[in-house]
Amino acid sequence: MDIFLQQLVNGLTIGSMFALIALGYTMVYGVMKLINFAHGDLVAGSAFVALFIFSKLLGGQVSVLSVTGVFVLTIVCISILGFTLERFAYRPLRSAPRLSAVVSALGASMVIQNGIMLLWGPQMHIFPELIPQIIWEVGGVVVSLMQIIIMVLSMILMIALYFFVEKTKIGTAIRASAIDQDAARLMGINVNNIIVTIFIIGSSLGAVGGIFIGLYYRGITFNMGWQYGLYAFVAAIMGGIGNIPGAMLGGMLLGLFNAFIAGYISSTWADAFTFILLIVILIVRPTGILGERVAEKV
Amino acid sequence: MLKSKVLALSLMATFLVSGPVFAEETLKVGVQAPITGKYANEGQGIDQSVRLLAEQINEKGGVMGRKIEVISCDDEGTAMKAAICAKDLVNKGVSMVIGSYTSTCAEAAQATYFRAGVLQTSDGTSDTLTQHGYWTFFRNSFPNSAEATFAADYMVKVKNYKRIAILSDFSSYADGLATAVQDSIKKLGGNIVAREKVKSGSQNFTPVLTQLKGKKPDVIFFSGYYSDGGLIRSQQVALGIKADFIGGDANDNVDFVKLAGNAAQGAYIINVPTPELLPYDLAKDFLKAYKAKYNMMPPSIWTILNVDGMRAFIHAMETVKSFDTKKAADYLHTLKDYPGITGPISFAADGNRVGSGYMTYEIQKDGSYKIVHK
Repeated sequence: MDIFLQQLVNGLTIGSMFALIALGYTMVYGVMKLINFAHGDLVAGSAFVALFIFSKLLGGQVSVLSVTGVFVLTIVCISILGFTLERFAYRPLRSAPRLSAVVSALGASMVIQNGIMLLWGPQMHIFPELIPQIIWEVGGVVVSLMQIIIMVLSMILMIALYFFVEKTKIGTAIRASAIDQDAARLMGINVNNIIVTIFIIGSSLGAVGGIFIGLYYRGITFNMGWQYGLYAFVAAIMGGIGNIPGAMLGGMLLGLFNAFIAGYISSTWADAFTFILLIVILIVRPTGILGERVAEKV
Repeated sequence: MLKSKVLALSLMATFLVSGPVFAEETLKVGVQAPITGKYANEGQGIDQSVRLLAEQINEKGGVMGRKIEVISCDDEGTAMKAAICAKDLVNKGVSMVIGSYTSTCAEAAQATYFRAGVLQTSDGTSDTLTQHGYWTFFRNSFPNSAEATFAADYMVKVKNYKRIAILSDFSSYADGLATAVQDSIKKLGGNIVAREKVKSGSQNFTPVLTQLKGKKPDVIFFSGYYSDGGLIRSQQVALGIKADFIGGDANDNVDFVKLAGNAAQGAYIINVPTPELLPYDLAKDFLKAYKAKYNMMPPSIWTILNVDGMRAFIHAMETVKSFDTKKAADYLHTLKDYPGITGPISFAADGNRVGSGYMTYEIQKDGSYKIVHK
């Protein structure tokens, strides 16, 4: 039983990271109907930027101030990167066929990935131990301070996002733009600004996800974005792409699913089962768990 | 008698006449190594050290009048790229290849070099490397079986572990080593409670480790690479699994300590000595030259073992006075105690390096190594 609970804790930790990253996919898809393949690489970039900020700008000393600084500065940098991405890779193609934008997204993904490789080199980099390794054992289940920080911070960010989208004026505008951009524009919503906003929010959440990956796994490589991007993408689809609570649920479920498959069946098969699960969901419920069935416009 | 003298003279004459034509010819040495990717650190070390050795030899006039030209190919640590590299290097006319770092890549390239008659030396430790009967292949490290015997003996007889868990990844090197260790432990009457495999590079090893936790092992032996080993050690401690950690030779890398962080302290690594611990003058000179040229130390012993492979090849060509790889290989198969940077080099008939130089290190608080058993 304690092994089951331990897998649960581990699964929720990685699930929180998947959910944070999946939100970026889901929001961009919701408004622009575009799968932003470069999102995973923004996440990888975030880990490297955080490493750079900590070791070069903040002098590499661990303190509450420097750790907060790493989070804030990295979020700012990655938001700017996300904004630039939208401005140069997607905005020029907004009226073009959807496939062009997808190709542009794949291109942007390669540019960012290779950019990281040029700047930091191809070798694995080691993320500093920003959070002390403190562990608690409760009834045979081990929970670390890092896991708690990851889960709690993710939860706070996700709840904040939910209220932002549901209760604020900008949130309403985002939802309106997701339903129909032209109608939203007619109602006086500046859709350009809305798109910029979701890119900045998505990149910021991805940036936090990237820092978490660095903190939790320590070793970061220039091409890791693809793997996490793919997981988050699957999580977004599972929950119903375009649906914000869906991405959160999808991320959590995917993390748990991964932990249990790896723990009880085989870690080699975890990826394979993840994609089998994706196929099953697409067959049984193509709109995802929380996605609503929308009549296709003909 | 006279006849043979005439023959010799005429041969010499031909050689003299044709000499100038070939004066520009170089001895092409291939490097097949993971210069980018997961093992980039090691691959770059191999590439840099081969270039340094070539430079040193060229300064002294080259090999029998020929300058060494180094041609590198990046196999990225993948079997597919390794096969491509092998064809590429053969097409470029190399007569010897140094590499690759991983057994998987060395094995994927072996047949191509064998068919082309190109000498190959690798630090790959998978036992299968020397079991194909390729006369072109020479191992410059010691095979898994030698390490397995040492590791099993250490765990069962020296440390008296009662519950041993064995972890590997799926590479032919790590899986081979883990299986060999498992067999040796069984022979000694040791008790194995788990044998698991992890996916290299997957970063999250907590599911497997959680499973291990339930089996209450005294020790976790991991046969894979440092990039995974450091994380496994760190996650093991984070999960509160109070077992010792013993890493196989591929965990011997400075990054292991960085990845494991504070958890590195107390972990054991089994390997041949690190470059700094080599007692030979040749080693001290080479390390000094390496430090001077690249402003860093070689990433690990594997770099130096590969240099020794290359030195043995050149020594063989100079001894048989020919660039013919078959002749050199015939000589190498009987090579006895040629002074190497990593100790005397002898090759067995199957291309294996003879002997074993394994030791157990314990990682200290400051990240340095302390020899605890040899």
